[in-house]
Amino acid sequence: MTGIGATHIDHIVISSNNSEVVAETFRRNLGIEIRRTMSRPGTGARLAFAKLGDVILEFAGPPEPDPAAEVKARLWGMVLAVADIAAAVERLRGLGYDVTDPRPAVQPGALIATVKSGTGGVPFALIQYNAIPHESPAGAAP
Amino acid sequence: MLTKIHHVGIVVHSADEALKFYRDALGLPVTADRVIEDQGVRGVLLQIGDSEIELLEPTRDDTGVARFLANRGEGMHHICFESDDVAKELEAAREKGIELIDQAPRLGLAGMIAFLHPRSNHGVLVEFATPIEGQHGH
Repeated sequence: MTGIGATHIDHIVISSNNSEVVAETFRRNLGIEIRRTMSRPGTGARLAFAKLGDVILEFAGPPEPDPAAEVKARLWGMVLAVADIAAAVERLRGLGYDVTDPRPAVQPGALIATVKSGTGGVPFALIQYNAIPHESPAGAAP
Repeated sequence: MLTKIHHVGIVVHSADEALKFYRDALGLPVTADRVIEDQGVRGVLLQIGDSEIELLEPTRDDTGVARFLANRGEGMHHICFESDDVAKELEAAREKGIELIDQAPRLGLAGMIAFLHPRSNHGVLVEFATPIEGQHGH
């Protein structure tokens, strides 16, 4: 295998102080369909998701945005999908990069590992879907 | 109509240094590597699935990319959506009252491109691109 076997950009994170307003602006300005909104388990962060091709746009913001604050957003980070996260982590560590151990992701059955060096200032992670057995809850969306 | 994410742009101090990670470690193939003189940047595109990652290294100090690097450091700079007609996207944006950087499409590394002003999207710099047939595999 050459490289880490990355298949595609899984998602790009747009961080803001009000994810719902930013997602609505992208819908209005660019015609992007917002497919799902949710609160992140644990933190309560408000998330909204859109998908273009095989890439998910994730709009992330605090649980309770200040409605009076000027809304500010920025491109924050990205996640690449890999077929074998253990092999990818081993390869990157072998080349001297600082990578966390794979851990369960929010997405059921997925493992995620964070790359903490060498990324050109980009918060960066790898994800492998169907890495651990899981039961899909009825109605769960990708 | 916007069909997919064409690329995400990442501003770096040194494209050669960033290539050690994105090309050599991740194994992403380089599809274009060019200095764009009038924009004062070296742009490197790497293929990942149906999208690309664009590394941007300023070659002069008087450009937007250089100012971004000086003010914010390395990191994600813009997101580019592919369209089959960048001129039509630009016109639609103008009709919606969206503030534009480019009043007309121009030639860029990704094909015919145009940028919206980040003020229009809460600070996120958005690019439209229509690839040119035969250009780096698109």
